[in-house]
Amino acid sequence: MADLADTSFSGRALRRRTFLRVAGATAASSALVLAGCNDKKEDNPTPTPEVTTGTLTFKGDDTGIFNLTYLLAQIQADFYQKLVTTPPADFTAADKEAFVDMRDHAVIYREFYKSVLSTNAYDSNLTKALEFNFTPYTLTTRKGVYEAASKLEDLGVGAYNGLGRRLRNLSYLRLLLKIASVKARHAAFVRDQAEPNSFAGPDVVAITGSQASLDTVKTPVEVATLLSPLVPAVLVADNLMLL
Amino acid sequence: MDFLNLLARLADLDSTAAAPQPAGARRAALGRLGQAGTALLPGLLLGALSQPATAGTLDTRTRLDVLLLVRQLAALGNELHSRALGLVPGYTALPLTAAEKTGIQVIREQEVQRVALVSQLITDGGATLPAAPRYDFTGSQNGARAALYPDIQTNPDTYLLVAQVLKDAAVRVYKTQVEFVRADIYLSELLLRSHTVEARHASHLRTLRRQRGATVKSWISPDDAPVGTTGTAVARVYAGESNSVQAYSAADNGALTSVPFNSTLPINVATPPLSPEAILRKVAEAFDEPANAVVATDVAALFTY
Repeated sequence: MADLADTSFSGRALRRRTFLRVAGATAASSALVLAGCNDKKEDNPTPTPEVTTGTLTFKGDDTGIFNLTYLLAQIQADFYQKLVTTPPADFTAADKEAFVDMRDHAVIYREFYKSVLSTNAYDSNLTKALEFNFTPYTLTTRKGVYEAASKLEDLGVGAYNGLGRRLRNLSYLRLLLKIASVKARHAAFVRDQAEPNSFAGPDVVAITGSQASLDTVKTPVEVATLLSPLVPAVLVADNLMLL
Repeated sequence: MDFLNLLARLADLDSTAAAPQPAGARRAALGRLGQAGTALLPGLLLGALSQPATAGTLDTRTRLDVLLLVRQLAALGNELHSRALGLVPGYTALPLTAAEKTGIQVIREQEVQRVALVSQLITDGGATLPAAPRYDFTGSQNGARAALYPDIQTNPDTYLLVAQVLKDAAVRVYKTQVEFVRADIYLSELLLRSHTVEARHASHLRTLRRQRGATVKSWISPDDAPVGTTGTAVARVYAGESNSVQAYSAADNGALTSVPFNSTLPINVATPPLSPEAILRKVAEAFDEPANAVVATDVAALFTY
């Protein structure tokens, strides 16, 4: 018992205390705190990630993970905005209301990730935002729109389920989890509209074998591959696979 | 700056000496769970401890505690839905439509599968499964007190309300349980993937209720009609859900930074723009808040005797 308790709790407390003691003993300088906290980052000063010559490479750390979820949020916000602006002819008032909600949520996620990432956002130095391509989807009918939304929301759920364990920062994980379940609620809703009672269908929630009752999970590379038809850049998520 | 880096490295070294690296801890923990009989010493199953969500009692839970909680909630859900579908002797099926039944069956099957999966993990880990509890979904504790939901076995609206509350509670509680198993990649992913299934179920039940006339969105919203009297276990499932403040620390255990939803972030994109109060309600919808295990076990206790 002692060894495990030490590693998981006392050890962490000691680390925190030691850091504070070392920091406090020297000077009350904000530069010092930054130096201490950013120790690891200074080993690799490359901005994270970069879009160069049409390639977006995600760095193998928490900022790389949040850049992927940021990209997902940008795509979803644009998707929902497009349909709020130009809904299919057979959209009902209830459909429009739900899409306004999901548009607002996606915009909130996009701005949230951008705010957290700050200068680490992949597009912080881009003069022009990426323009996403939704031509793989049929967006002129209610059914087509809900099927497209289902694909995007299920992809989000799978992505989040694969990214959670790769995050190091606990406060980031908490936020990711707060968002993941709302995405799953969106996914269930749009799936039910596309096909009644498909909210947790066998294509997303396994019904047999050792994965039975567990939701979809995608690796970062799978997510990048699924997103690539929508994004005007080559997505490289290999670094996230090592986390 | 080199001197400051040196200090930071010294701090790192210090902690490295005191505590093995996470990989070592994980291996050790896995090894322990694999040993028969460890369940007799719950301390051996200690996973990563989380920060307490609030000052006061520190919620420390082992991986076994987490698995038992998941099993408890899934078994409770299975019984609730099985009775509603008329699958349990002595309980008549509720007058649900054929389409409603189809969806409930999906939820029930996934509860059954979750109970099986988690039971297997618990017994593989050397622990024994607790005896099946006795359930009374009217909340009367088998007649020991006044019923909270006297018509739950005849009125679909009552049943769907209770079902939704249990699912929303599970979604919130799973979030905190992940923190206790973080050292274990398999269990972390299992919890994450179960957590989003619970959210799918909750969303579907909410959609069903809305179709039957209830004021409720498919996602938890401040605009939802209240589900119970303030202060009751059921109402506590939604306590704090209207929060629109989110914060993070860029460094582990560093200072918290609040996300400026209420000031500088350009999130109010509606035409015309929403009121400041209304856009913050959307922010509250966009984040499901975590809750300690007791929020779910208190609701489960209403229906168990």
